[in-house]
Amino acid sequence: MTQQIIIPEPDPIPLPAPYWLLKFLLVLTFILHIIAMNFALGGGIITGITDLIGRKKNSQFHLNLARSFSKMLPIATAFTITLGVAPLLFIQVLYGQYFYTASIILAWPWLSVILLLLIGYYGYYIYQFNFEKLQGVRAWIVLGSAVLFALIGLIYTNTLVLMLTPEKWAQKYFANPHGTNFNFDDPTVIPRYLHFLVASVSVAGLLVLIYGLVKLKSDESFGRWAVRYGGLWFVIGTVVQYATGIWFLLALKKDLMMIFMGGNGVATAVFGISVLLSLVSLILILLSFNAQNPRPLSIFGIVLLFLTIVGMAVMRDILRDAYLSDYFKPEQFEVQPQISVLIVFGIVFIAGLITVGYMLNKVIKAKPVTT
Amino acid sequence: MNYPFWDVPLIGGGILIGIVAILHVFVAHFAIGGGLYLALTERKAIKENDQKLINYLKKHSKFFLLVTVVFGALSGVGIWFTIGLVHPSATSTLIHSFVFGWAIEWVFFIVEISAILIYYATWDKLDPKTHNTIGWIYFAGAYLSLVIINGILSFMLTSGKWVDIPFTEPSKKFWVGFFNPSYFPSLFIRTGVALALAGLYSLITATRVEDEELRTKLVQYSGKWLVPAFILIPVAGIWYISIIPPLAREISMGGAPAVTVFAVLSIVFSLIIALFAWLGPIKTPKQTSFAFALGLLVIGFMVTAVTEWVREAVRKPYIIYNYMYSNAILKTQGDKINEIGALNFAKWVSVKEINEENVLKAGEEIFRVQCQSCHTIDGYNGIKKLISGWSENYIDFQLQHLDMLKGFMPPFYGTEQERKALAKWLYSLNEEKTK
Repeated sequence: MTQQIIIPEPDPIPLPAPYWLLKFLLVLTFILHIIAMNFALGGGIITGITDLIGRKKNSQFHLNLARSFSKMLPIATAFTITLGVAPLLFIQVLYGQYFYTASIILAWPWLSVILLLLIGYYGYYIYQFNFEKLQGVRAWIVLGSAVLFALIGLIYTNTLVLMLTPEKWAQKYFANPHGTNFNFDDPTVIPRYLHFLVASVSVAGLLVLIYGLVKLKSDESFGRWAVRYGGLWFVIGTVVQYATGIWFLLALKKDLMMIFMGGNGVATAVFGISVLLSLVSLILILLSFNAQNPRPLSIFGIVLLFLTIVGMAVMRDILRDAYLSDYFKPEQFEVQPQISVLIVFGIVFIAGLITVGYMLNKVIKAKPVTT
Repeated sequence: MNYPFWDVPLIGGGILIGIVAILHVFVAHFAIGGGLYLALTERKAIKENDQKLINYLKKHSKFFLLVTVVFGALSGVGIWFTIGLVHPSATSTLIHSFVFGWAIEWVFFIVEISAILIYYATWDKLDPKTHNTIGWIYFAGAYLSLVIINGILSFMLTSGKWVDIPFTEPSKKFWVGFFNPSYFPSLFIRTGVALALAGLYSLITATRVEDEELRTKLVQYSGKWLVPAFILIPVAGIWYISIIPPLAREISMGGAPAVTVFAVLSIVFSLIIALFAWLGPIKTPKQTSFAFALGLLVIGFMVTAVTEWVREAVRKPYIIYNYMYSNAILKTQGDKINEIGALNFAKWVSVKEINEENVLKAGEEIFRVQCQSCHTIDGYNGIKKLISGWSENYIDFQLQHLDMLKGFMPPFYGTEQERKALAKWLYSLNEEKTK
């Protein structure tokens, strides 16, 4: 049977800025979004489990950490959403015809993201505001929220992988135009999803570690414990991450896999360097556990891991364009730069950064220890 | 016709957008007006050294946070998700026309969210003046996000000269579309709504204050927040109506009875709020109860709902005025579709050539790509009911003159053979019923 491939025409309105600038903003804001998401999702998982351990073992360290993180979770969620708006904007600018079509085929699951997020978000606030009152059930509330957030990730992976495979659209749509499809028949969906899910736990482990570093000054033994405890989440997460990563890589079609194995010089280099950076980061964090002063080693490790995330985001983008290489030709975009609007955006952006910087400065000055 | 059509049974996509949008609008305007309420009232409390008022604001800011940051922000993203599914082409037009408008708004979001989270968390940690400054920053961010989104929303009804400016003048095209004819009246109306909702929502928390003296003072104070709205909204409203396209005015003033009824309801409900806000919170604050405040808020919600519904309805037959019809066909594409046929032009149809066997199927496909963005079959705005009793010839006659017979409908585009197929399929719905 020959496959019917239908792809909508790109929007006739020209791009208001050069392609590279929009692409840069897409990848940059995606990185910011994904880090906040890691804190919100992975942070919820770690907080819930830490809370359970704390109550079971009656460990004040665990409970203190859960209490502190209960305040962080809603903030991380707020920023996940807000920072997510930008990549969602730029993906519609550059890949609109793929994005809209895939989301329409999965319309109901895609729309349910909003409801899941709403419930999970309020769950985090319930956890924060009733931390002392709720006792036994509270860990299950925060874990429940984290599960809802994890489900959102699964829906995202379903949709965004379908977006890259236009060959499957017509068949799926004509079989069911009601928007109740999924994309689990694609073998990359599960490993790709796990690769994101495990990463969130790993990165949130680093947030615990950072929290420990901050606490070192005021409470040496608690701080040290948190550095190791968070570091351990990171280490275990990252080791599991290598397994999901290999699975994901092997699940890709051969020509797509090969771009990271020598087929495409840049892709292979970014892949190699990213894996190497994560390995070094892993070793540094392990070494920091027993170091006299864990600070320099772990901070270096965190910086390297941040670079790993950047590398992974770039790889993700390269993979997307490789998937779509038969259809998506950036040179076909018509560009008509809206210079004056870009200038206004630049000014507003800098003013916004200064304003947020001003407020953070006031907060830090008011209270030297962040919680 | 470019995108697959998402078939939402019974209610259709339009109602789905309506539900999400109305909920969002009702909270988002509070997020703006309520920001001013927090900043101004805190300033008053600092000036009068009123610790009790500060304590009230602390509680009110928690309510504000939970309503606006969670529900307000999420329902906003929710509208975006929903319109992308129901009207992908129109969403794409709004995105592509105003890419950096959206990006600018995003910066304001970041400032807004950062500010309110800090504001709520630092009541006892920052000195009062600095804390108040954070409140003002929040309000500035929130209001500026309205300044941006208002340009894009009002553009949809009054695209003005935007359509005529070529893409080779990109900056001019952006600003002309953004500062379109209804930009300012619309901004003033929304500002009024934001202030009124600040009052209505704060009555909810104010009527629950235990200290009677403070409660009385606060209820009256909050009630007065409705006053500017009742000057601003009618004045800007008349300005707005005078500036919108004649067809839109006609639809709201008798052209389409349902729309007119809703428009009248919007005014009646608003007057009821004005009357009861005057009699209750302003004149007899002591007796104003929580239930009374809740009642006012519910009527406020009804005003939002009917007004938003009218605002959407008067835009017909367009989704983006003079550019794109409600069914996502561009005005400039009409001739081409007449020439090559709707089925050939549409991407997501399973029938391309009409023959004797597939004529009904073809008709159904044409209905899906050209009519179903407004009409369901059996549910909301259901076509079956609307054509009940019509003969096939009469249906075909109507299809030939849709835009003239019903001003709020786009013309039918396609070949004669396609129109006849659509008429035949529509008529078959009638036959189904009589069987």
